[in-house]
Amino acid sequence: MDKLLEVQNLNIQFDIFGTHVQAVRGVDLELNVGETLAVVGESGSGKSVTSKAIMGLNPSPPGKVTAGKILFEGQDLVQYSQKQMQKIRGKEISMIFQDPMTALNPTMKIGKQIMEGLIKHQNMSKAEAKKRAIELLSLVGIPNPDKRVDEYPHQFSGGMRQRVVIAIALACNPKILIADEPTTALDVTIQAQILDLMRDIQKKTGTAIILITHDLGVVANLAQRVAVMYGGKIIETGTIDEIFYQPKHPYTWGLLSSMPKLHAKIDKLLAIPGTPPDLSDPPKGCPFAPRCPYAMKVCLDHMPSYTHISETQKTACWLLDERAPKVDPPKTVGVGGK
Amino acid sequence: MGRYILKRIWYMIITFYVVITLTFLSMKLLPGTPFQNANRLTPLQLNTLKHYYGLDQPIAVQYVKYLWNFIHGDLGTSFQFGNTPVIQMLVAQFPVSMDLGTEAMIIGTVLGILLGIFAGLYRGSFRDWGTMIFATLGISIPSFVFAGALQYCLGVLVQLFPVAGWGTPSTHVLPVTSLAVGILAEVAIFMRTEMVEVINQDYIVTAQAKGLSRGAVVFKHAVRNAMIPVVTILGPMTAAIITGSIVIEGIFGIPGIGKQFVSSITTNDYPMIMGTTELYSGLFIITILIVDILYGVIDPRIRVSGGRS
Repeated sequence: MDKLLEVQNLNIQFDIFGTHVQAVRGVDLELNVGETLAVVGESGSGKSVTSKAIMGLNPSPPGKVTAGKILFEGQDLVQYSQKQMQKIRGKEISMIFQDPMTALNPTMKIGKQIMEGLIKHQNMSKAEAKKRAIELLSLVGIPNPDKRVDEYPHQFSGGMRQRVVIAIALACNPKILIADEPTTALDVTIQAQILDLMRDIQKKTGTAIILITHDLGVVANLAQRVAVMYGGKIIETGTIDEIFYQPKHPYTWGLLSSMPKLHAKIDKLLAIPGTPPDLSDPPKGCPFAPRCPYAMKVCLDHMPSYTHISETQKTACWLLDERAPKVDPPKTVGVGGK
Repeated sequence: MGRYILKRIWYMIITFYVVITLTFLSMKLLPGTPFQNANRLTPLQLNTLKHYYGLDQPIAVQYVKYLWNFIHGDLGTSFQFGNTPVIQMLVAQFPVSMDLGTEAMIIGTVLGILLGIFAGLYRGSFRDWGTMIFATLGISIPSFVFAGALQYCLGVLVQLFPVAGWGTPSTHVLPVTSLAVGILAEVAIFMRTEMVEVINQDYIVTAQAKGLSRGAVVFKHAVRNAMIPVVTILGPMTAAIITGSIVIEGIFGIPGIGKQFVSSITTNDYPMIMGTTELYSGLFIITILIVDILYGVIDPRIRVSGGRS
């Protein structure tokens, strides 16, 4: 497959009030043409920061890329100036945001918000751009698009607004669509609609999607590959089947166990005890070790390197070392009550 | 929209009526008399004067009479200025204050907004605190100090502009500047706060994610949203500024209406007190209506003319 985007050893640091928060610590990612990669992790795991770095949207200062490369079609975006990034953003790579209620400018007609990118990147006239905006609105499933194009965000419901946000992102047929928790702020019923829409659009336009989420249900719905992030590192990555059916990292086990299951007999939601590490003083060893029920002494002092489970799956965990005791994943990991 | 404005005008009339009534009653509580040499007059003379001006009648009667005359466009005659009709004095003096105030408002608001945008964008940098120090000075230096300094520097030392007077455009420069500085500073500080707030909103990131240039993000997306609260302070500020400033008008010898607000009260010039209060409150009420209509123009969410929401 063709590599569209390759993130290599990305390190991002935020300098806030004299502390250096190392939000992303050596992340490697790959995205192929037309595929969907899910980046999963809890709040503060660095997944949003990574995705924003690809867009060059981390506020700087305080954020800065301290090491690593973001190769888009072979070009290192880290080296790009803001001016150069403006030609990438919205045209080659676009982004869908978490909260559709705040992601749209309340004082601008939605048509105009869609048209801006078209006029900027594709040198369209206003009339052409408006025509395209109406097409986009109908593509994302907004009824009466020729009328609604002249309405303001407050005249749309949350789900409809997220469709508008998607239309804005799709305006210039980007090669990569980054969706940062696109359904988190929506009603469950609307969530399904938006996911359907995204799948549908990917089929029609062939755009590659990076899906940032903490919701494994969303992942199962949309992604082909999954990268699990914790404490600014990718601790496990693999195809969707590998991550769901043969996860190797205790944190992935924890994530899967904490997913509510329809047919489960227990009536209590499982949680992973403890809190994520403080990244202004990152742990020497595995960041998950303090919360890991299987943690060994080595886990606290040394970060494990990746063990390649298969061609596509690799996991950073000391349990996979041949000297480690054999541990079976807990029964609660099972997917969908199976 | 038309319906809304009609309703608003009705409320405005009620507000105005309440203001007139309260002013009239509280004015009657003022100590002293309107007659300058009252202590040298015999009781008979005093009574004759009171009778002449209708001040010997019960307050209720005076009140109804005043309202009746008001409705017919008669605001009475000034006690301190030899029976000149109040209307005539307002018509002669108000336009001067309005010119001065309007010029200062326009300059102060435009520059204040630009300065606020600038400071807000560079929050935390020396450009920000430099601007804010300037703005804080602008608010805290009394206008008579500033006006005096301007007069001395640009009127006496350099002799660029006339020290006082009102007429040719060059006479406007110093008083308008003195008045505009305070407005500029206040608007700048307010605008900065709003910019800082707006620039952190999600839709600004959305705009950046479209690949828009920094200028387009700021002027097309941030400024308009930051303006909404600023409009709120501009309304009452306009009413206060265009009804004249006793200090600036006094220092530059400008024949505006500013001093009447004070002198009418110290001399118990009843009709003049009423006249100036009515002018001020009338303008105030009208600017508030204008602000509310402007809100709708800037912010579609507040637009009153039906529609889904």
